[in-house]
Amino acid sequence: MDFYFGLAQIIGVHTLLGLSAYIVLLTGQVSMAQAGFFAVGAYAAGMLTVLAGWAILPALAASSLLGAAVACAVGFPALRVKGLMLVIATLAFGEAVRLFFFNFDYQVARGGVKLGPLGGEGFRQIRYFPENGWTTMQVMLFIWIFVVLVMAILWWLDRSRYGAVLRAVGEDELAAQSVGINLTAVKVSAMTIGGAIAGLGGGIYAHYTTHIEHASFGILLATFALAYPILGGLGSVFGTVVAAIFVQGFLVEGLRFLGDWRNLLFGALIVLAMNLRPKGFLDAPTLRWIRRVFGGKRGAA
Amino acid sequence: MKKIALKGITAAVALAFAAGGALAQEKTIKIAGFGAKSGVVRSFGINSEAAMLAAADQINKAGGVALADGSKAKIKIDYYDDRCTAEEGISVARRMAGTDALVGVGPTCSNVAEPLFGILQKKAGDASDSGLQFPIFSDVAIKGGLARISEWSFRNVPNEMTMYSSMFYWLKQKHPEMKTVFGGVEEDFAHSRATWYVVMKDRAAANGYTIAGETKWLLADTNFATQVREMKKANADVVAISAHPFSTCGVLKEMQRQGVKPKLLVGLTSTSSLETMQGCAKQAEGMMIPTSFAPVNKEGKAAADATAKFKGSADLHSMAAWENMFILKQVMESEKISGNPKDVQADRRKIRDGLAKLKVTKGLLGDTKRTEDREADKPYLFVQAKGGNWVVLHNPL
Repeated sequence: MDFYFGLAQIIGVHTLLGLSAYIVLLTGQVSMAQAGFFAVGAYAAGMLTVLAGWAILPALAASSLLGAAVACAVGFPALRVKGLMLVIATLAFGEAVRLFFFNFDYQVARGGVKLGPLGGEGFRQIRYFPENGWTTMQVMLFIWIFVVLVMAILWWLDRSRYGAVLRAVGEDELAAQSVGINLTAVKVSAMTIGGAIAGLGGGIYAHYTTHIEHASFGILLATFALAYPILGGLGSVFGTVVAAIFVQGFLVEGLRFLGDWRNLLFGALIVLAMNLRPKGFLDAPTLRWIRRVFGGKRGAA
Repeated sequence: MKKIALKGITAAVALAFAAGGALAQEKTIKIAGFGAKSGVVRSFGINSEAAMLAAADQINKAGGVALADGSKAKIKIDYYDDRCTAEEGISVARRMAGTDALVGVGPTCSNVAEPLFGILQKKAGDASDSGLQFPIFSDVAIKGGLARISEWSFRNVPNEMTMYSSMFYWLKQKHPEMKTVFGGVEEDFAHSRATWYVVMKDRAAANGYTIAGETKWLLADTNFATQVREMKKANADVVAISAHPFSTCGVLKEMQRQGVKPKLLVGLTSTSSLETMQGCAKQAEGMMIPTSFAPVNKEGKAAADATAKFKGSADLHSMAAWENMFILKQVMESEKISGNPKDVQADRRKIRDGLAKLKVTKGLLGDTKRTEDREADKPYLFVQAKGGNWVVLHNPL
């Protein structure tokens, strides 16, 4: 059973990563910086529990805040450009963060052993969970509490006036601006919320893997962050979790028995999924159908 | 006549059931292997799996593993691909621990070994630590000092510090006129990076060489013009390349293109493999590497031949997997494991304790000393690339 709990942990962390990109995508912006915010959160939370001896909750709160602060700082200059230029700008930021941690050494002696980030060799022994006796199931539940919380907040935001503003900017910037919407404020706020979620996810990731290194936060992770909401559909926050289950649960873990064929099928199945569901797994008709089935009369109306 | 035929059929059915029952009672010991079987370093996993299957085949043909009750069990290998990624390595470890596998052999990548050992229980028997209690006996992941992360982790990989210390000492004695070393390092791979900065550079300097400089590249790089230009400019007597076969070959080809010919060429221990010979035998000609395996004796040749039958090649890494299988057989027998499905966790603990007790193990090049921190001190020799093969250059032991 531990294996399935472990798998649920991975899916949970990747869902948070996907949700961090989801809110930015709602504004029509394609950000490749999410892996960078995720890395910032991972290193920050790891250093706080291992080197400063903090408990996990305040460490995750700090990693989330730091992720938000970095995203906000990046958002102002980066969001002055859009489209492909924004992709390049955020990609450059992500690589800059990765290279920063590649060269970042900060080790402190603890009981005769040096702990902390050591450049390219990474940061090992982030063992808060096992050292405090957390079982795999408890860690899984802990992660999913955050996933559900974040999804609930995003779901609520999506239904609020703020959510309508985000989608308006995403649909047509010019039209949104013409009705008085402050584009910079909307985009930067979305980026900041995305950074907070990525920072939180990164903090959890560091404690789940117990070892982090720069190579874990590269372009591939940034691509995955974007792939989840796109594959799942931007119509609903639930699409991202469906996509994370599809990629991590089915493509990565479910097809492991296929050996070398798994890698070939991985790409092919994603292409197939995008062709069959061009608007994502949970597109508008599917969401209407779900509402009709589960929502009773109100949903049908 | 009808009666005789009926009796015959009844007897045949009874025999078939008896045979089936005997087969059903035959015990199996599961050993899980895991490593990269896809991606840039896929050859490590493919070769390790082949070596494990070949060793298991040999053990099974000799009767199998003796159990506590006096019966014998056959070994079954399940091999998992972790794609050399930390997340997948952890997932594979949890999957293995969820089966009735008694021990894991792997992983192939140090960046997987570090997080994987991190999720294991740090001190065996520490009830306050909820880490995974599953013995892992590494064959390939070679970055220094990893086994000390958990008391459930063990390694049978060579000690690079000892090997390169010996190599630079020998080179200094043999070629005292050579004074300078220039390093080339595959910067983003945990093992090659650590080997240059912590081992090669340090050991070269300790043996009287002046470090003339260093240049860096990445595992996936395909253009090495700038790095080789730096190498050319330094004009060092010795060029030491701490990189895996894929980028080593790229650099060597670029060195040939730019006409860079150092007096001596030293390589990373993992590069003393078939991949280098397949990728750039001509350019690697003369390269010297310390390694913990070469098919120089009867046992080594037999192990290499057996591995080839399972479509793998023998090198220092895959032959460590071969050795691990025989060490595990010895431990399982000495610790008297039961092999019963209900005793899986108890058997795992016995294997862990048995591995921890070992002081010396038998290897293909001779005896291997086991250290207090669950590492190996393996015998080694120096090989050199010559005419498309790795030939023994010197045996320092």
